[in-house]
Amino acid sequence: MALLEVEKLTRNFGGVCAVSNLSFSVTEGEILGLIGPNGAGKTTVFNLVTGFVRPTSGAIRLDGRSVVGLRPHAVARRGIARTFQIVKPFPGLSVRENVTLAAFLRHPARPEAEAAAEKVLERVGLSPRVNELASQLTLMDQKRLEMAKALATEPRLVLLDEPMGGLNATEVDVASALVQRIRESGVTVVLVEHVMKAIMRISDRVVVINQGEKIAEGPPAKVVEEPEVLAAYFGKKRVA
Amino acid sequence: METFAQSLVSGVLTGALYAMIGIGLTVVFGVMKIINLAHGEMVMLGMFGAFWGQALWHLDPFVSLVVWTPLMFVVGMLTYRFLLRKIIPGGELNTLLYTAGLSLLIANVALFVWKGDYRTISLSYGMTPVRPFGIAIAVPLAIAFGLAIAITVALWLFLSRTNLGRAIRATSQNPEAATLMGVDVERVAVVTFGLGTALAGAAGVLLAPSLYLYPTVGELLLVKCFVIVVLGGLGSVPGAIAGGILLGVVESLGAVYVSATYKDGIGFVLFLAVLLYRPSGLFGVGK
Amino acid sequence: MKLARRFLPALLGVAALAAIPLVVKNSFFLHVCILVLMWTVLGAAWNVLGGFAGQVSFGHAALFAVGAYTTIILYLKGGLAPWWGIPLGGLAAAVVSLPIGFLCFRLRGPYFSLSTLAVAEIVKLVALNWESVTAGSVGYLITSLPPLSILGASVNWEGKVPFYVAAAILTVIALAATGWLRSSRIGAYLVAIRENEDAAEAVGIDTVRTKALTFALSAFLAGMGGGFYAFYFRYVDPDAVAGIGLSMEMVFIAVVGGLGTVGGPLVGAVFLTAVAELVRERFQAGHLIFYGLFMMLVIRYMPEGIWGRVRKIIDGKKGGS
Repeated sequence: MALLEVEKLTRNFGGVCAVSNLSFSVTEGEILGLIGPNGAGKTTVFNLVTGFVRPTSGAIRLDGRSVVGLRPHAVARRGIARTFQIVKPFPGLSVRENVTLAAFLRHPARPEAEAAAEKVLERVGLSPRVNELASQLTLMDQKRLEMAKALATEPRLVLLDEPMGGLNATEVDVASALVQRIRESGVTVVLVEHVMKAIMRISDRVVVINQGEKIAEGPPAKVVEEPEVLAAYFGKKRVA
Repeated sequence: METFAQSLVSGVLTGALYAMIGIGLTVVFGVMKIINLAHGEMVMLGMFGAFWGQALWHLDPFVSLVVWTPLMFVVGMLTYRFLLRKIIPGGELNTLLYTAGLSLLIANVALFVWKGDYRTISLSYGMTPVRPFGIAIAVPLAIAFGLAIAITVALWLFLSRTNLGRAIRATSQNPEAATLMGVDVERVAVVTFGLGTALAGAAGVLLAPSLYLYPTVGELLLVKCFVIVVLGGLGSVPGAIAGGILLGVVESLGAVYVSATYKDGIGFVLFLAVLLYRPSGLFGVGK
Repeated sequence: MKLARRFLPALLGVAALAAIPLVVKNSFFLHVCILVLMWTVLGAAWNVLGGFAGQVSFGHAALFAVGAYTTIILYLKGGLAPWWGIPLGGLAAAVVSLPIGFLCFRLRGPYFSLSTLAVAEIVKLVALNWESVTAGSVGYLITSLPPLSILGASVNWEGKVPFYVAAAILTVIALAATGWLRSSRIGAYLVAIRENEDAAEAVGIDTVRTKALTFALSAFLAGMGGGFYAFYFRYVDPDAVAGIGLSMEMVFIAVVGGLGTVGGPLVGAVFLTAVAELVRERFQAGHLIFYGLFMMLVIRYMPEGIWGRVRKIIDGKKGGS
């Protein structure tokens, strides 16, 4: 059964359709890549699923239960965590405190929350940085922190918004391995990413959207050959 | 009907002056994303400038505009350069608190030096109102209205026709893009703050003959100014004009038809309603 | 041991508070101490919301006014003694804070600040014009205080000591509440909200509820401060209790003392009262000049405030954490 179902999801911003009639589902345990050209509506999909933006119409269900209309904190409590494309740490706090704040969701007592945070920080490889201020981290470590915060809420599904954006080739490999390890730990992953090489390699399946609509879906290798996808990425002329 | 027309007209006239104060605040917000709580004090300084100009040098308040406007421009630039520039990177709340301190400082130094007395400026031509179409209009208010329009048009020409003006508008719309396109953001910020302060000062000079002046008048004006820019959408010049005139009219009509005591309250209720339901401003031109 | 270290400063503080009226017989000095304590409560009230949660309110005078009016009206019209009236004043302010919070918390950052300013102005207008309840601009005057006897001895309201004791109790409540908040999960949530509201929501923090609860706590303290004011100065009118100046003084205390610290408001209140008393002799209202000036200097050179700086130095010596 699908863990997340998105059905006929639509969102207008003052007449402009950011997401239109979009349906897809995420199976438990998979890594789903959500790709599309700039402005295709990928981040809006994340904002809709996590309650930061309300859909104009359509359904979003986690395990068959609707999450539409829930505020973001309630969505997080249900088990959907997210990262932000432009990282949003708590800049003036230590790395440890950043993650502990997220761990409070499942561990209301501070000692337990701190212990849980410690484990997550180890998983993402931030243990040596726990006492540093979040604002002083390198971009790679900020992306790690972003993931650590999401994981510390102990989600069933995590939505990663460009975890590799802005990283160099080596760092992209590290981040890819990290994403794979998240999945191996039993958390389902939806990934928005521009680094095509990485997404092709680690996704089990990809959904391609363009101008808010789904234009293709399937295994990565197959999808890139579809003319609609090529047209969306490279313009219609070159394909024709 | 006559009362209605009368209060409508005086509302529009006062509103145009409110608008000028609002434009000053909104331009600064647009470029620097800061809310200057000392803006009302800049208006107050303009008012006292007009007063002392007349008292000491027999300078007609409207003529003194040519002295005080450039002077307030310089005051604004210095305020930015020596006081605010280091504060702004510390975040918007720090800036807000800092300008709150600045506002307290200026108002109370003025109170100390000039005392809390209410003062008025009397003009030889201010005694008898003109009566076009049977509507009484105070001459100083009419002159102020005309000058306010002239200044606003001049500002508009500056913002749309000069390179510096275009740079200011570009920065207001998209600071990152403006930087990438080679706009000197620092220079734009200095000039914008000078401009905002000059507008506040000029509005103060224009308002001086029509209002009581006292050192802490800035507080009341600042609050009105917030109402205006929020009505029109923070950062929008046309919005500030519309918001200013709307507030002037609402206050003027409200004083007649609702209650003179709750006159100021009407503005605040409108303000809250807009903040809550149309945070981008009544006219949807803001963010 | 750890527990002892945590509560030792608090115990010392309470002991010092208790010792002052025993040692000091000078009624002017006691008056100054009462002012310091009252301002501490108000600064702490503001700091809970502004310092911890980063929600800068320019309208806390409105809550102070609700407390002051509630307390004085309950006494003058219902005969309710201050020891009931003051907590009820706090409660009334907390109740009023709920709709205000519901409205204003839809806005963030400076927009929130502006909306609180507007709310305070509306409250002041209501106080001025709702004459049947608030007595308008005339205000209320307390001419005699209720008889009170403790352990058989009747209390002399003419002296300062009973007021000092009341102010000290309120201060202990305010500081204990902020101390508890700082070490609690809610306190950590508030800091998260201050640092980044979206990120706080994303990790499961109910920002709206957390802010509303905090606002209510802040209002409760400010309202009790207002109730105390009404009894100490025996006079309440709109200008005295609902002016923007009062809101700014609360901001000043918290900023100068140290945003988001427990001890900051006490330090800020000492500073504020000292400046006011030193300056008052020379020129009236001149103290506001210094409030403005100090606020600018502190934000420019010491944004963590006096107490914040002291703590930093102490913690630095201990080797961090």
